[in-house]
Amino acid sequence: MIPAAYQPPLPLDRLVLPVGAPGAGDRMDLDVLIVGAGPAGLACAIELAHLAQRERADLNIGVLEKAEALGEHSLSGAVVHPRAFRDLFPDLKDADFPFHAPVQKERVALLTSRWAFTLPTPPTMHNAGHYVASLCEIVRWLGERAAALGVNLFTGFPAASLLVEEGRVAGVRTAATGLDREGRSLANYMAPNDLIAGVTALAEGTRGSLSQAWLEWQGVTSENPQIFALGVKEIWETRRPLDTIVHTLGWPVPTDAFGGSFMYPLEPNLVALGLVVGLDYRDAALDVHALLQRMKRHPLFLQYLEGGAMVEWGAKTIPEGGYYAVPARRSGDGVVVLGDSAGFVDVPSLKGIHYAMQSGMFAARAIYAGLKEGDASAARLAEYDRLVNASFIMRDLYRTRNMRLAFKDGFYVGGLKAALMTLTGGRFPGGKIATESDATVARRITPGLRPGSVVTPDGRLTFSKVDAVFKSGNATRDTIPIHLVVGEDVPAEAAGFYARMCPAGVYEVAQGTLHVNAPNCVDCKATDVLGPRWTPREGGSGPKYKRM
Amino acid sequence: MKIAVCIKRVPDSETRVKIASDGKSLDEAGVKFILNPYDEFAVEEGLRLKEKAGTGEVVVIAVGPAAAQETIRTALAMGADRGVLLQSDRVPVDGLEVAKVLAAELKGAGFDLILFGKMAIDDYNHQVGPMVAELLELPCVTTVTHLEIAGGKGTAEREIEGGVEVVEFPLPAVLTTDKGLNEPRYPALKGIMAAKKKPLEIKPTAPGPGALEILSLTLPAERQAGKIVGEGSAAVAELVRLLREEAKVL
Amino acid sequence: MSNVLAVLEQRDGAIRKVSHEVVTGARRLADALGGGASVDALVLAAGPVRGADQLGGVGADKVITLTNAAFGMYAPEGYARALADRVSTGAYGAVVFAASATGKDVAPRVAARLGRPLVQDITDVSVAGGAVIAIRPVYAGKALLTVRVAGSPAVLSLRPNVFTPVQRPRAGTQESAAVDGSPGRVVVKQIKAAPAGMLDVAEASIVVSGGRGLKDPANFKVLEELAAAFAGRAAVGASRAVVDAGWRPHADQVGQTGKTVSPTLYVAVGISGAIQHLAGMRTSKVIVAINKDKDAPIFKVADYGIVGDLFEVVPRLTEEIRKLHG
Repeated sequence: MIPAAYQPPLPLDRLVLPVGAPGAGDRMDLDVLIVGAGPAGLACAIELAHLAQRERADLNIGVLEKAEALGEHSLSGAVVHPRAFRDLFPDLKDADFPFHAPVQKERVALLTSRWAFTLPTPPTMHNAGHYVASLCEIVRWLGERAAALGVNLFTGFPAASLLVEEGRVAGVRTAATGLDREGRSLANYMAPNDLIAGVTALAEGTRGSLSQAWLEWQGVTSENPQIFALGVKEIWETRRPLDTIVHTLGWPVPTDAFGGSFMYPLEPNLVALGLVVGLDYRDAALDVHALLQRMKRHPLFLQYLEGGAMVEWGAKTIPEGGYYAVPARRSGDGVVVLGDSAGFVDVPSLKGIHYAMQSGMFAARAIYAGLKEGDASAARLAEYDRLVNASFIMRDLYRTRNMRLAFKDGFYVGGLKAALMTLTGGRFPGGKIATESDATVARRITPGLRPGSVVTPDGRLTFSKVDAVFKSGNATRDTIPIHLVVGEDVPAEAAGFYARMCPAGVYEVAQGTLHVNAPNCVDCKATDVLGPRWTPREGGSGPKYKRM
Repeated sequence: MKIAVCIKRVPDSETRVKIASDGKSLDEAGVKFILNPYDEFAVEEGLRLKEKAGTGEVVVIAVGPAAAQETIRTALAMGADRGVLLQSDRVPVDGLEVAKVLAAELKGAGFDLILFGKMAIDDYNHQVGPMVAELLELPCVTTVTHLEIAGGKGTAEREIEGGVEVVEFPLPAVLTTDKGLNEPRYPALKGIMAAKKKPLEIKPTAPGPGALEILSLTLPAERQAGKIVGEGSAAVAELVRLLREEAKVL
Repeated sequence: MSNVLAVLEQRDGAIRKVSHEVVTGARRLADALGGGASVDALVLAAGPVRGADQLGGVGADKVITLTNAAFGMYAPEGYARALADRVSTGAYGAVVFAASATGKDVAPRVAARLGRPLVQDITDVSVAGGAVIAIRPVYAGKALLTVRVAGSPAVLSLRPNVFTPVQRPRAGTQESAAVDGSPGRVVVKQIKAAPAGMLDVAEASIVVSGGRGLKDPANFKVLEELAAAFAGRAAVGASRAVVDAGWRPHADQVGQTGKTVSPTLYVAVGISGAIQHLAGMRTSKVIVAINKDKDAPIFKVADYGIVGDLFEVVPRLTEEIRKLHG
């Protein structure tokens, strides 16, 4: 079964609108509009505000965020490299930044269903000098600083469409609020708003809809298509303290899939753990959430989780294509693309936050210089690309450019190739490993297997998807219009595949047909990669992460 | 119409309650704070009445810590004209002390209406509004679900057990609002921008200690698994007996 | 010696049932205060009140009816003044109201008039070192606050359905007196009937809820009949799954992420008990589960459960409930 066969195309007619298209209520004009208040978007806003402040200029900066409050849609491991923070706030010390403890001990293990074999830590994964952190806390901290600098933060306002004029991005249109499932206005209906800006920075995170739309509309390609992994994460209050950051390979990820787990101590008794699996997995019945539930029973994890309580759950995809999947250019007339939306993630070191922030800062410098000259053209904004290309961002991505891709051939061959790449600093095997997009990878169907939980959840250590979604803080209005664009005539096999793929239980198979529980969606975007297309929905919908 | 709306900054209703180390208060780490949902009905009603009258102003007043400025800005983003923060790090558990602080601020200010949400979703005290009314010697109607104001008089409806009370009162008056009175508007983008420029006065305040002392804040006992009474319809008679005699709910 | 004043409620000239709870609570408090503290039960009305004579049985030493032609229906300002005056002239250590709609309205007024704090909506009361200690739920019932009241009198309102009436017979001597005063500026013109139609799920004191176990929308009739057997006190709820499937209207939904109901009795029929649903009804006083799967998570939270075929169990239950009310 090939998922691409049932996947509708990106709804460009909804995502790209001409300026002046009917349907908007208010219009607001800004100098710079940033879509997404994640680390990339906020670093961009802060750097712009710093630049303006230095020259006593008055810059009207607006940041749109679809979550109801900052951080609520942010999720990462995370172990953070502090360099972008230091660059953005040269007057502050590491102790001032929103990090938890510095990494002291680390361990990489190869798991079997019962054992854990410690491996020497691969050079790409050394985390000395880095800090365990919560991305939610980072985003809230950055947000406070942005607000103090006069940046306008509009939470609860998703950008639903790009507004374009000829080949230029002129701004965005936000999503309407207060519609029922049939599309009728409710009492508190609010029309979409048009935000028009000199430059629009797209910092939507993984698999951003407007970023994808812009790239497709402008015909910007990359050498390899972007590929993704799905991470499902939980935070636990534990009885037993953890003092080591742990990464594992092997079980429970099957050998024809790429993935591994992480377990980090936010506090000694507050543990973040998760499982990340590449979406090019071959077995149609693979269910990342279910694998995570099974994984928790392994002694390596159980020793910490036993007697503890799960306090949060969440999921998010990660762009894994690396160097060859970064678009040829990430700037255009009136627009730049930042962070995860541009694919600035290094899989072997599991890092993306400092790249996101740094890209935001480079974009800010290019945007500021352009605005001063009244020039927001592609030629002017290409300065952003030049800054990124000459920086550690592209240097790091280049060094590990084939590492993830090597695993397309499976765990053992991939492991061998990866080891060789590490030893030779990326030179061997050289060349580019071509990949196909995740949706075009054929999936193996096991006949007779019904979609259901692989492990019967006990509600204490292991949880059903429905219970998990509750723990993500998702309280989306049940009557909200369905935001997912489903292909026509989805056969039972594909429906079963979606049901397993989605960690939030959005898809169910009932009597052989696909049933969509759209309010469950936690915006991880796995569906957009492999199945029904994700589109922005009413502001404030989705999860409410607190410390993910 | 000159309208005052008294609001409160409260923890989000989805907050997972953790007791702070003093055993008497909420551990606020990671807690998201919002405008008390019942106060949203009050702000909305104030805005509608002002819009209907064509002129006037809606002033929001909060008693709370410095962070309550953000809560006031939310109300300003909805459309209120100005805000006043009676700043105090400690909000007394004794509602009468809160009422005294508010009454002192409201006294002589000439408001036609003073609106409150019926209760705050953290303490469920359900009392500050009517207490303020007593201190100011103003008429008061609580838990209003329907309101009409005309010619210096008002008619309100409020739900009571098994019915709806229809109440008449003269202005100026104090009202507390309940769910169902209106559908609060979301702050518009322009409202959020405008809110930053609206006047917000901060007045440091020291509420009295009050006559209530918190001895402890505790988590309720875990709901115990009950018993399986039996199988099939044969167990029904026993279930009904237990519901009557043991649980006393029938 | 500090006596306890229990403030009763009447409607249409008859004592409301919740007043039995108030007297029960007052009695408990008086016994804890010791020193022979007595309970005075007080009701404001336009004339004699039916049922006043039953209050001795639950612990009232004296039942006082204060009459005023304007006090037939609740008069917020008139009641507040009359009660505050009464409290100031008596030597009361505590004043106890019901945390009913009226009680929650008049108690703050009386407390403010007396310059005293009000502990609203309490679920337990005791005395330690001569001071009244009260416990009340906060944060939507997710925590309990224990407070000590300094000074006298303590003004309290009791959460309904908690202080179950207990027979503790006392003299219950009946007294009556006229009281002066205008009803005040706030005038209750009438009491309208509650809007016609089905009881709202969020307000009913009994909720009978159905899930996918019902198998077919038509089968909800079985639950409607059970609800009807409770003579107007029960509403029919539905899990999100069946509302999503279009079997029941959205207004009936229980356990929607974020929506909470807290009835006295919650009967979950054919509902497995996902956390989302449980979070919506777990503060119900008593939970009954009927499900054919003995491992369904709902049984972990239910106070009473029956494992069986709901199509057999529910009609039988309906029969028994009808007999009770018949």
